[in-house]
Amino acid sequence: MTDISSSNALENPMEPGAQPRLLRILTILTVLGFAATLILGLFVAGTDIQQGEVQRIFYIHMPSFFGAFTAFGATVVGGILYLARRSETWDQIALAGVEVGLAFALINLLTGAVWARPIWNTWWTWDPRLTSAAIMCLTYAAYLMLRAGIEDPNRRRAFMSVYGIFAFVSVLITLFIIRIVPETIHPVIVGASPQNAQGGFEATSGVVLALVPSLLLWLTLMPITLIWHRVRLEIRLEALSLQKIRALNE
Amino acid sequence: MKTSFAAAVLAIAGKDLRAELRSREVLMAMALFALLSVLVFSFALELDRAARGEAISGVLWVTLIFASILGFNRSMANEQDAGNFDALRLAPISRSAIFVGKLVGNCCFTLCVGLALLPLMTVLYGLNLLDGWVLLTTLLGVGGFSTIGTLLATMTAQTRAREALLPIALLPVALPFLLTAVRATKGVLGGEPQSEWQVWLQLLAGIGLIYFVLCMLLFEFVAEE
Amino acid sequence: MNTTLRLALLLALLSGAIVSSQDDENKLAYFQTAAFNAPVLSGWEDQSRDQVAQFQQPAAAATIRTALADADGPIAAAEAELSSWLGVEVGQPVYQGKVNLADGTWSVLIYDIDATSTASIMTRRAEGQFVVISFLERDPAARTVMLAVARDEAAREDAGAEVAYAVAALNAADFSALDAGAVVELPSGEWATYSRERQLAMGMVFGNDSFIALQEGEIGDLETLADAWNRTLLGFFVTPDNRIYLALGLFVVFVILGTLVFSFRWRARGIQKDLALLDELARVDE
Repeated sequence: MTDISSSNALENPMEPGAQPRLLRILTILTVLGFAATLILGLFVAGTDIQQGEVQRIFYIHMPSFFGAFTAFGATVVGGILYLARRSETWDQIALAGVEVGLAFALINLLTGAVWARPIWNTWWTWDPRLTSAAIMCLTYAAYLMLRAGIEDPNRRRAFMSVYGIFAFVSVLITLFIIRIVPETIHPVIVGASPQNAQGGFEATSGVVLALVPSLLLWLTLMPITLIWHRVRLEIRLEALSLQKIRALNE
Repeated sequence: MKTSFAAAVLAIAGKDLRAELRSREVLMAMALFALLSVLVFSFALELDRAARGEAISGVLWVTLIFASILGFNRSMANEQDAGNFDALRLAPISRSAIFVGKLVGNCCFTLCVGLALLPLMTVLYGLNLLDGWVLLTTLLGVGGFSTIGTLLATMTAQTRAREALLPIALLPVALPFLLTAVRATKGVLGGEPQSEWQVWLQLLAGIGLIYFVLCMLLFEFVAEE
Repeated sequence: MNTTLRLALLLALLSGAIVSSQDDENKLAYFQTAAFNAPVLSGWEDQSRDQVAQFQQPAAAATIRTALADADGPIAAAEAELSSWLGVEVGQPVYQGKVNLADGTWSVLIYDIDATSTASIMTRRAEGQFVVISFLERDPAARTVMLAVARDEAAREDAGAEVAYAVAALNAADFSALDAGAVVELPSGEWATYSRERQLAMGMVFGNDSFIALQEGEIGDLETLADAWNRTLLGFFVTPDNRIYLALGLFVVFVILGTLVFSFRWRARGIQKDLALLDELARVDE
């Protein structure tokens, strides 16, 4: 995290294309890693004979939630550090975390719906975990709406840091709701499934082989790389709006 | 010279309550909304005898939280419009005292509505809601979402869209209170053994405490000049 | 140093997973084909090949076989299967019925092929073909029949009524002459038994259906046979073809990630344009 902020502070924000070396390496690693985990999930892991090919969606479905977890976690960390240090970069990281996390949470939600169609025979059901995942998406959509509604930049940064911290509650609820409200049909792959879970499968080592790399990728490389790119964009956007204000005042 | 924390809290809460006693506009709006909501729910959900037991705690809490949003919005907008809030910020009192003061005021309004709602729903739905445990749940639940509601209302009062943004911002983060309070109320009303629903009350109190501490810490940043 | 250590640990974990994933393949108790999965019967001689799952119990001269047949009806499917397997033309089935199991409607057909062999067949349509599960017994000393019955709502609690029906339908004996015996606990469930000197009937209630096994002549190991037949029927399943949903899921993933990256690009391009405009304005002002 500190790496990101310091390297951003050093580079000239208005000069496009001047990507730091580390970011370029990270980007390449992310793309390669994504391709590799796709190959592992689609071709190396065996077909689940009960569920059929659609079970392979799981290798993206679950990791994408943890990707969102990392990204929204970055929002919390960015928020706390912004409030403590008042450095814009932390707020930019928080905002980037929301955008990237929201994309990942949508992937999580929609891949789940696509999987549920053949397995549960419905795109959507009002299961506690599905509902809380949808509310999580709405919480961060609310973050972006609220952010757009605050004009004063300093006030915006402070308010959104506070909201970003509270919004994480929805992530925690989604993660732990199976323990709180046990009457869910959502399967738990690691640990014991709830009694009425439908569509679970055993975490055999073939599953682990495809899942672990994907989980690591979505947990670290994917959100970090995307957040970094988004932070660079935000730096340039903010610089541009400053320049616009200056041009108007002249 | 600094006013003591308790004195500042009492002064701010007292000011809100006195203003409300004179104008009665917020409380009337909230009470009327809650009454309408309960009636509309009974039509919309076609609450027959069997469905009532299941749905009534949901109706109670959804009504309460929407009524409270009405109150939070008005109470913060009043501060903002008259320039009161700037004066409060200048006053030699701690920010957290302002927060607790506003919280106590907001909490009182919503609790009034809640306390009026319980006997009303008891009469309308023929289910006894005047139970000590339901009262305790109401107290904890209302207190819980009033903390985060007060904080967020302070924020949204300073934005362009104001009233429109508060429910959007509040509902998702107040969800833990809604979830646990509904469960606890349902358990009590359903006549389940205490061991079944006690955990919900404990969760409700625990989450309330965490939110209260967080809000106290973070209010400072929301009430900056 | 630390990173290397972590990488090494990760590699060890992965290679461990690869090695043990090969163990898993061996542990799978299913004979898999592209069209269906049939449970492997342990203790039976495995004669499966290609697209046919076939298990034999030499002691009882019994074979359980799952295969696909091209036909336009259940009787034609059963005839096609028996002629391609045994090379015999069979006459009319001695029993015909239907049951609804979780995966569809199955036809139940029983053929007395010759003096020594009897085939009990369950078949259902599957993607333009028929899945045929056969129980064939060629024991000259006994006649063994397996069938599933779904008849009477009142009889669903108790297999006896359906056993009586099955016994009557197959002309095996007079059911009233059978004595109710002990309830036998098998891996597939609780079976009620009815017997007399040279006859044994077993029945198990399963949901809306009853599974019945009958043996006449020299009473052999009917329990094992009935249990294996049941395991085959209830364990049989077709892996659903839902590649289209996998493709849709991947499409969704790429669309969302693509939209995110594209929006980054789009906003970056907007910045370029605005900067150019600002430059131009500055020049005009000068």
